[in-house]
Amino acid sequence: MSDLAIVDVGVSYGRFVAVRDVTLAVPAGTTLALVGESGSGKSSLAHAIARLLPPGTGLTGSVQVGGRELASLRGRDLRDVRGRVVSYLAQDAMAALNPVMRVGRQVGEVFARHQGLSRRESAGRAGDLLRRVGIQAPDLVARKFPHELSGGMRQRVMIAIALALAPEVLVADEPTTALDVTVQAEILALVRALQAERGFAIVWITHDMGVVAEIADDVAVMYGGRIVEQGPVRDVFAAPAHPYTRALIEAAREQPDTAAKARFLTIVGQPPAGELPSGCSFHPRCPVAIDRCSTERPGSRLIGEGRHAACHLAG
Amino acid sequence: MARYLTVRALLGLIAISGVVLLTFVLQFLVPGDPARRVAGPRADEVVLQTVRANLHLDDPVTTQLATYVVRTAQGDLGVSYQRRRPVIDMLLERLPATLLLAGAGLVIEIVLGSLVGVWDGLRRRRSPALAAMNILLLSIPTYTLGFLLLYVFGYKLDLLPLSGGPGLPELVLPALTLGLFGVPYYASVVAESIRVAASSPYARTAVAKGLTPRQVMRGHLLRNCLSPVITLAGLDIAIYVSGVIFVESVFGWPGIGLLAQESFVNLDRPVLMGTVILGAVVVIGFNLVADVVRAYVDPRTRTDPA
Repeated sequence: MSDLAIVDVGVSYGRFVAVRDVTLAVPAGTTLALVGESGSGKSSLAHAIARLLPPGTGLTGSVQVGGRELASLRGRDLRDVRGRVVSYLAQDAMAALNPVMRVGRQVGEVFARHQGLSRRESAGRAGDLLRRVGIQAPDLVARKFPHELSGGMRQRVMIAIALALAPEVLVADEPTTALDVTVQAEILALVRALQAERGFAIVWITHDMGVVAEIADDVAVMYGGRIVEQGPVRDVFAAPAHPYTRALIEAAREQPDTAAKARFLTIVGQPPAGELPSGCSFHPRCPVAIDRCSTERPGSRLIGEGRHAACHLAG
Repeated sequence: MARYLTVRALLGLIAISGVVLLTFVLQFLVPGDPARRVAGPRADEVVLQTVRANLHLDDPVTTQLATYVVRTAQGDLGVSYQRRRPVIDMLLERLPATLLLAGAGLVIEIVLGSLVGVWDGLRRRRSPALAAMNILLLSIPTYTLGFLLLYVFGYKLDLLPLSGGPGLPELVLPALTLGLFGVPYYASVVAESIRVAASSPYARTAVAKGLTPRQVMRGHLLRNCLSPVITLAGLDIAIYVSGVIFVESVFGWPGIGLLAQESFVNLDRPVLMGTVILGAVVVIGFNLVADVVRAYVDPRTRTDPA
């Protein structure tokens, strides 16, 4: 299995820039959690890595898997990579499965496309695969339509589709958000087990700090289209260096019984949309901002073993 | 599904009964004396009386209604005043021609409408040329379009026969008139469905599998557009049937529609009522078929509504 390297990636929709200068490394067999509020650019970055941005979207920089460049691929080369080198796990499995196609065929389609298998052979492989993702009676489930399955079953089917061809990289775009907590735990355990067995790299998008602690080795925090902090999960959680990371972690830690005073500990203000503020993007909402923050944009600096932060006050 | 269909079939039967009653009432609103029509303009009062008695026009309305309902329930639609032939025979004789015309028109509107719709739906923006064509087709009434086609292809260019049937050369213009009229509706519905399907998460999943655009289209987008097309066909059938009657009159196509028009002019009440009842049966039956086909195409609609 190979490492994923993202270098200076930018994503723009017309004049709107969603992602700027993102550089990340995800070694094979490890999981990077990408966290941030809605609109921080994390989904755009996920689609950029999986090469699923809509046509006409600007993608700059480099996305490499085991040294192979994906960002510049087009046409047939790109289609050959999708599902085989990099796979995508969507947020809402109900919407992400074709409502009028039996799930067995939706899984088998991957084999038919990439390995040229017949329908019958594909169906056989699909059954094996469904069993691997923990579906009992796979032959029965294969004949069902998506709306006839439970939420957890549907997400298992999606995992089967994503991992059918043993890809090097799995991009998971909040795949457990729509599930209840026990099912979420099952899905996380399943993905971890499959990763331990096969050794693929995972980029896991989420805004749930509990999920980050559960699944990730490293965490990258996005704000205004940039990575503001990254490092090993344990270290970042123990001592967050960026005020935004601190606020996210505290918001997640807030317990219902202490909320009597503060209701909810929220981050005041809105994330930027469109024009970014001058200097540090976060300074208008930052509780500890100094004068310099509004004029000079902090670059990402090494602040410890494998840790980077983009804050004038960090380190 | 079986229970649902039974309920639908029963409802359909009730609707047809309603139509039967309503038609009976409506025939008295048509001005003119059927006996005079049968006997001719110069017939004297004695002849008229005989004709009336023969046709049971002198019976009390309640008796006429009772006889009519009982007979209709038995599948007997009576005898034509003009031709002295069983109405059911006349209908069955004309039915193949009408089915041919209606079928041809339906194929034209669905195939052409879907092709245009898919083409438009795959564009990033709606085609202004198509929008203009839609408005043009929508604002031309069926019979105007019919006469226009007749004038250009039948008279000016002399490529196709002006009227008659039921042969293939005679079929082209009336089928085209019927079909073209429906194209904008199907094109809009298909274009919108394609747009929705193409931007859906399941389309993204299909792309993420590495499928080619053609495979995504055929395997995933098109099937999701079938259901709205079938729904539209089901909804449109009543209007479509009235279109068939118009078009048959314009082109002299010897089907049920022309029969209805002739029987109306001749005050041939049994025949007129027969055509109306047949129309109702066709509309209700077609809706039932559309339901079954849609359930086959879209598994989500298969469950029985409680």
